[in-house]
Amino acid sequence: MKAPLVLLCCLPAASLAAGEPSLPIGDLVVERINARDEGRQMSRKMTMVLTDGNGKSRVRETLGLRVYLADRKQTAIYFEAPGNLRGTAFLTYDHRAAEQDDDRWLYLPALRKVRRISASDRGDYFLGTDMTYEDIKLETRVSDDYDYRTLRADSVDGHSCLWLEGVPRNEALARELGYQRVESCVDDRIWIARETHFWDLAGNPLKTARTLDIREVQGIWTPHQVLVENHKTGHRTEFRFSDIDYQTPIEPSLLQPNSLHRGP
Amino acid sequence: MSETPPASTSGAASLREAWFDTVTARPWPVVVLVALATLALAAALPGLHKDTRADAFVPADHPARVLSREFRTIFGLGDPLVVAVVNPGPRGVFNPASLALVHWLSRQLEQVPNIDPERITSLATEKNIRGTAEGMEVTPLLSEPPTTQAAADAIRAAVMGFPLQVGTLVAADGSGALIIAEQLDQDHAQATYDAVMALVSRAPLGPGDQVHVTGEGALAGHMGAYIDADAARLNPVSALVILLLCLAAFRTLRGMLLPGLVVLATTVSTLGLMALSGVPFYLITNALPVALIGIGVADSIHILTEYYRLAARHPQWSGRQLANTALGNMLRPVSLTTATTMAGFLSLALSAPMPPMRWFGWFALLGVGLAWLYTVTLLPALLALLPAQCSSAYPAASAGQQATDRVGRVLTALGGAALRFPAVVVMLAAAVALAGIAGAPRIEVNDSLLRTFQDREPIVIADRVLNERFDGTYFLDLMVSTPATEDLFRPANLRRIEALQRHLADHPLVADTVSIVDYLKQMHRAMHADDPAYYRLPEDPELIAQYFLLYSGMSDPRDFDHLVDYDYRLANVRVTMKSDYYADLRQVIDDLQGYLRAEFDTAEIHAQPTGRAFINYTWMGQLAQAQTSSLLWALALVLAMSILSFRSVGAGLATLAPIAITVLGIYAYMGFGGLWLSASTAMFAAIAIGLGVDFAIHTMERLRQPRDRPATDLRVMVAELYPGTGRALLFNFLTLAAGFGVLALSQVKVLIEFGITVALAIALSFGSSLLLLPALAKYFPTLRGGQPRAPAGVDSPPPRSTAP
Repeated sequence: MKAPLVLLCCLPAASLAAGEPSLPIGDLVVERINARDEGRQMSRKMTMVLTDGNGKSRVRETLGLRVYLADRKQTAIYFEAPGNLRGTAFLTYDHRAAEQDDDRWLYLPALRKVRRISASDRGDYFLGTDMTYEDIKLETRVSDDYDYRTLRADSVDGHSCLWLEGVPRNEALARELGYQRVESCVDDRIWIARETHFWDLAGNPLKTARTLDIREVQGIWTPHQVLVENHKTGHRTEFRFSDIDYQTPIEPSLLQPNSLHRGP
Repeated sequence: MSETPPASTSGAASLREAWFDTVTARPWPVVVLVALATLALAAALPGLHKDTRADAFVPADHPARVLSREFRTIFGLGDPLVVAVVNPGPRGVFNPASLALVHWLSRQLEQVPNIDPERITSLATEKNIRGTAEGMEVTPLLSEPPTTQAAADAIRAAVMGFPLQVGTLVAADGSGALIIAEQLDQDHAQATYDAVMALVSRAPLGPGDQVHVTGEGALAGHMGAYIDADAARLNPVSALVILLLCLAAFRTLRGMLLPGLVVLATTVSTLGLMALSGVPFYLITNALPVALIGIGVADSIHILTEYYRLAARHPQWSGRQLANTALGNMLRPVSLTTATTMAGFLSLALSAPMPPMRWFGWFALLGVGLAWLYTVTLLPALLALLPAQCSSAYPAASAGQQATDRVGRVLTALGGAALRFPAVVVMLAAAVALAGIAGAPRIEVNDSLLRTFQDREPIVIADRVLNERFDGTYFLDLMVSTPATEDLFRPANLRRIEALQRHLADHPLVADTVSIVDYLKQMHRAMHADDPAYYRLPEDPELIAQYFLLYSGMSDPRDFDHLVDYDYRLANVRVTMKSDYYADLRQVIDDLQGYLRAEFDTAEIHAQPTGRAFINYTWMGQLAQAQTSSLLWALALVLAMSILSFRSVGAGLATLAPIAITVLGIYAYMGFGGLWLSASTAMFAAIAIGLGVDFAIHTMERLRQPRDRPATDLRVMVAELYPGTGRALLFNFLTLAAGFGVLALSQVKVLIEFGITVALAIALSFGSSLLLLPALAKYFPTLRGGQPRAPAGVDSPPPRSTAP
């Protein structure tokens, strides 16, 4: 976990990074990010504050459950507020096998029915937030659809970090993801990106995500706030996390389409 | 013309003499001063800011504009450009090549500057909402161009199954597809239209494909350039025609060039001052240079006529003496006509609610004032610098006989006829007046941006093609507001909107309506396995909230941004119409407002019309009132000035008679000729009165009988009037009529109408002044005066000049 930077940069491959030979190469940074412990399961309260370009806001309070199984990650989000969405539940199965489409369901209490949601593109936005399904699925991790390189060392909010640039491996992936390029400043102590910039397919600045209030919860570094701002639409999303629990076991059978109406 | 001894002791007269003496004694400083002022103002010309938007017709703080701005901010909708792909082949646009073209255009439009990439609507951006066994599916209609005919057929089937898109995005018979592109800033419509046209010209057309571009944004964008180009072509022609007329009038080079210099300085200075004051150059400002050229030359014509008349009689006088005396003799009538013309424009400036007309009034007023200033400074200065000159148009008189040429003789004969048959003249005038009274109620208020263009213009063809195949491209928007956040989830409110849409759909001039209600019904049906029985509004507000959440989980939630605001408090009902003619708009909007008063005036829900159609409706609705009030103002101001000037109520009223005939004659022309009262014709009254009254004043001035002279027989007065003043008025009339008449050669229908209407008004006031006033004077001898006033006809040089 606390591998000193000095050690990394002494590795021969590290000097391949553009410009500054003292930086670790991108793939190493990626490896460290994805090796970070996220807990086998987690429950948390999540408040989403969505604000449009005219300053009007929607506030949604949810309870989220997540569990890693051998072949997939199961996530359920139960809406608690506003009142007209109370009981609405969103369930995804993110399959490890790349060729298998992820499954999504939504339980609408007003219809008393679970409806499968057609597989959207990974680049589609998640429930009106400024995060795509792919962003949500990755959480603090990074995907192997990009080629990475380390740009420079920097600091964000007083934390030293490494700017990591990711470029989709090919045109088709770029279109699917909706990004031409991303740049993250990855904290080189806890291996979480503290700030990420996204560029759209035309190369215009698209959005900026900032991860704030990162604290250890039950021994796991955990962001408690994520702010995303879309520069094209002026739309912003604030995610606030609380009551985070990595230890209480979650029964995977709870996270089934047919169980959604029962709530968490 | 009188041949009185040098003018006496009147204070005004001596002041006048002192003025001309100063001007002609130091001609060079005057010339240099005017030249410097003109050059300085010319330097400001590049700063002139154009505002050719139709929005400009409504003041920026008018509630309709305020609401429209708010609406644009909330829903991102304004004046779109509409690009249509049309294919008359058996499969219409549902073939791989045409669909690829729609796709290509949709993608390329995103890159066009000022096109909002988030607000392009076409098959390539819209999604199908349909039910599946397990739920609902939202899929792009045309994410990638199809490669096979079968794939194209599948797209056709999907689109035709989505009622919302049929007629709006695709022609019901499949022969066309639309791409509707909103602009980020409506003020750059011109450049945006040009960029879209350039894009279309390099579009990869398939067999049988045609591409058309129209829409309110395109109309507004094209109109600015179209009218500018036209005015840029016509203004020089109008100047040239007027210079040639001056040449014909005086048959000398200076007779042509000196008035030319005066109008050049006038026009440049006026536009320079417009630039300096930051007042935009509006669409109708294009008529201002023509008006200034025609009006500005009039004073010069009168003074040069007097100059040449004097030169013929006093061959021994110097250029300076001639200039001084000509100016001295003409200053009163020229100043009076300037004042009345300014009064005409003042009436426009004071009464027009529309900024472009108001500013037209103010700057025409300013220009007329400047023309007067330059005529009484620059012209005498230049004349004083030049040696005395005679004109073959004004031959030296043989003893006891009035000097005249053929033009003068014809006019004299005309005047004689008016005196011989005054009853015929009066009856003719009465006939014109009656025709006007009968014609006025027949005048219809109507206008349309589209009408600006000739029928062969691509944009007009595009409009026709689109109206044949689609629901239309003109949008009237309704902003529905409720008091609190998420009030639009309440079924009662949604049902009201649904009923409103049903009511509108019944109107024969409404092609289609769309609102969030249509999408909710589509989702409700999709969530019930596409069962048509569920194509209705859900009853449960929670379900409506959940449908929106569901949609946001499946597609871009901003898909509804143009129909409902983020709080679900404000909604847009977009009404599609095939026409943007005011008469049609009025029918729909008047009916709609009645419905809104009855159904949407509650504490729970409220709705107001907005958008381009409503702004046009607002300003066009003011035209009739603007025209009437400017007419009344002009009549009142001109009457007051005439009465004051002639110090006789009778003479003042008589001066108004030719004006009344003119206005009524134009009403007859408009009423029976089917000419609409529109932006172009609504200004005619003020302009016609301001210009036309000049003829009446000059005529009255000569018919009036100075008290200090023995009574002259009317016939003798007329014999004197026609060859001199009459001839000057004729060329004054010809230059004005030609200046405005040149507009008839325009490509722009509204300018043609404006030019013809004003030229006709000028002809009427010229004819009625020269014929009706002498006839009236015969019937009412008291019109000819009796009030003491400063003598106007001074024929010898002022005392201080070096008289022979």
